[in-house]
Amino acid sequence: MSRLNERFKKLYKIGLVITFAIFLFFLFYDIHNLDSDGKRYLSEHYISEGVQETGATNLVASVLYDYRAFDTLGEATVILTAATILAFLVPITKATMFGTTFKSIVNQTITLIIPFLAVLGAYLLLFGHLSPGGGFVGGVVLSVIPILLTITYSVDFSEYIFKPAQKKLVENIGAIGFVLLGLLGVFTGSNFLASGQAPFGTGSAGEVFSAGLIPYLNLMIGLKVGAGLAIIFNSLIKEK
Amino acid sequence: MIDILFYLLLLFLIITAFFMVFTKDLSNSVITLPLFGAILVIIFVILQAPGVALAAAIMTVGLTTAFFVITINKTEY
Repeated sequence: MSRLNERFKKLYKIGLVITFAIFLFFLFYDIHNLDSDGKRYLSEHYISEGVQETGATNLVASVLYDYRAFDTLGEATVILTAATILAFLVPITKATMFGTTFKSIVNQTITLIIPFLAVLGAYLLLFGHLSPGGGFVGGVVLSVIPILLTITYSVDFSEYIFKPAQKKLVENIGAIGFVLLGLLGVFTGSNFLASGQAPFGTGSAGEVFSAGLIPYLNLMIGLKVGAGLAIIFNSLIKEK
Repeated sequence: MIDILFYLLLLFLIITAFFMVFTKDLSNSVITLPLFGAILVIIFVILQAPGVALAAAIMTVGLTTAFFVITINKTEY
């Protein structure tokens, strides 16, 4: 029996190496032949036709919120699920303070930084279809504000400024608003989450109110990600 | 000129990554992570990928460091 075990272990290692080698072979084969055959027709279509079809000058936003918007819905649902489960699992107890207390220079600097962070986050949210950025990054920048408040002052102060019920409400508005905006495409006679193909038009590319549904989807995703990350951080920092 | 700078940055990226993995002190490793992220952000900007650079700057330099520092503080290292 032990001899069989030994033999199986050796065969297992050899099989692992061979599987890894085959995997690497296919990987390098595909990477090497990326230019030469017709695998790039989809990306070439996005690059050449993306601005005309969706109206967004940021091609990343046009792929994320128009061509592949359903994947974005899935990613956002992951964050919603994580925030919900963490807020559900972690008991509501008093948070422990940190070992070090900050001097007043740190507190003053934080109060100076926070308005700039709010403006930067709002810019990244609302101009996501024109310039680099988008809902995800803007939401993370906005969620840094309650995280900084939590780190410098305390959990109590952070939850006094941004109440947990308000954060949960904002997250739910983001989650439900994304699906409702997707259903708008169905009601106007097109597919789910259609913005470029939908009959309400894309507007002229480069303006603020253009690109169909993309700015509103950006706003919803940003609200959801920001509130979700703030809830996750404040839930993780609490303990009994 | 930009080529020399680019390869120098790649070299520093490898150095910081190896230092981050092989250092004995945990807080050294945690503080090297945003350095790694900052070098990666500069490389992304040189490669003309500003969207990825923004995401990397906020995620790796800001959030991940905050979470790691809080975790080390919580476990009373």
